[in-house]
Amino acid sequence: MIRLDNASYTYAKGSGVSNVNITFGDDEFAFIIGPTGSGKTTLLRMIYMDLMPQVGKVVVDKYDSSKIKLRKIPYLRRKIGMVFQNYHLLEDRNLFDNIALSLHVIGFSKNEIVDRVTESLEEVGLDGKEDRYPEELSGGEQQRACVARALVKEPDIILADEPTGNLDPVTSFELIKLFEEVNREGTAVIMASHDYNLIKGRGHRIVEIQDGTVRQS
Amino acid sequence: MDKMMFLLSEGVKNLWRHKLTAFTAIFSTFLTLSVAGSLMIVGQNTNKVIEYLRGKYKIEVFFNENVPDKQIATVVEAFNKINGVRSTTLISRSDAGKIFKSQFGENILDIVGYNPLPVSCVVNVVTFQNDKMNVMPIVERIKSFPEVDEVLYQGRLIYRIETYYQKFVQVMTALLILVLVITVLIISNTVRLTIFAKHELIQALQLIGATRSFVKAPFVIEGVLHGLIGATLAAILLIAGVEVGSDLLYSVSKFKIQYSPFVLFGILSSLSIVISFLGSSRAISRFLK
Repeated sequence: MIRLDNASYTYAKGSGVSNVNITFGDDEFAFIIGPTGSGKTTLLRMIYMDLMPQVGKVVVDKYDSSKIKLRKIPYLRRKIGMVFQNYHLLEDRNLFDNIALSLHVIGFSKNEIVDRVTESLEEVGLDGKEDRYPEELSGGEQQRACVARALVKEPDIILADEPTGNLDPVTSFELIKLFEEVNREGTAVIMASHDYNLIKGRGHRIVEIQDGTVRQS
Repeated sequence: MDKMMFLLSEGVKNLWRHKLTAFTAIFSTFLTLSVAGSLMIVGQNTNKVIEYLRGKYKIEVFFNENVPDKQIATVVEAFNKINGVRSTTLISRSDAGKIFKSQFGENILDIVGYNPLPVSCVVNVVTFQNDKMNVMPIVERIKSFPEVDEVLYQGRLIYRIETYYQKFVQVMTALLILVLVITVLIISNTVRLTIFAKHELIQALQLIGATRSFVKAPFVIEGVLHGLIGATLAAILLIAGVEVGSDLLYSVSKFKIQYSPFVLFGILSSLSIVISFLGSSRAISRFLK
């Protein structure tokens, strides 16, 4: 469960989010919708504790931002799979090594890593491309690789920050279907987007954020 | 175990991934450790020279004429107990006569009709001492015996040698420390360049839940490898240089440069591990702050 209690974060230049009170369930699929600069990324960064709320708190599972020690944050992040608009794939490693990195961090054995990465690539439809480098993949493939990297550690939560920002409408739609599949298997998915047309009518909860304030949820 | 192997292989792969910075770090470490190794060899051999010179330090003690031989023997025994005295050699009147004959080729009895040479004693001082040696307290203690008539020693020469040696040791120590600090800074700055170039990797690692030590380890391993390769190259250069230099020096002065290739390699590689560990840890810790 993710809970934000009166959470606020203001950047030095002024924007951010204020007094956010919201809860996400363990297997929920929710969209955070709002224009660019409205505070969607700030909200997600507070959930994976890249930013600590200046007022209020964020609670993710047993991790409470008001009590957590810095050295414990990596263990929270191992429960969260993150997908970004700009992919954040490492250019000097092939697809297999990019995805395996998450598992090396946790300390999986070599055999487990091979099994899990292979399975995860199949899940996102990139099997057979494990030796390719990011620059050899299309935008959609790179984003699916990011999803594979997020899924490979079997996280409790997927946080996706504008994952369709660089994709065409068809590929964006396929990506959302992929997230829905993941969600059906019991993983909570929280996806931030500014494209209302992409998410409307899918039957998922929509949280609207504007000027750093959650307007309706 | 797999995690350790992964971190180790990442450190090794980074050497290839960051070829230019690796070359810069290895070359800088090689240069500074070559200087440090040269200083150590020079220091060690200067120590040998000073020990040799100290072996030549002599204090000659002449006894009063009327002191009985038995009493002189007791006094010489007392000299042996003075702090800083290595050994003593008693020279009786007849021994002094023999020395006179060996030096001047004539018997003293034939010249003056009796042996006027006094009983004397040569006092040798210790040779191994790290700091400046001062023979004055020994001389003063010997002079305090009423049986002693005169004490001769190379006071000015000993003072000069010891003063220069002390200054030399201070300069060498300061130079060595300076060289090591420079090496730490060079490695630290080179690793920082690598880190800036690799900020995406660090960011990705942090986002997927890597601990600080996991993020740091490949960079520290990479830094230590730079140091070890630099140290190995420096050791090879120095060993080759010393072998050639030693033969040349021996043919001119019969002085053989004292050193052990294994000890030299051991010291340089240990030093490189310590300084490269410090340098790379400093760089990555500052970045992760």
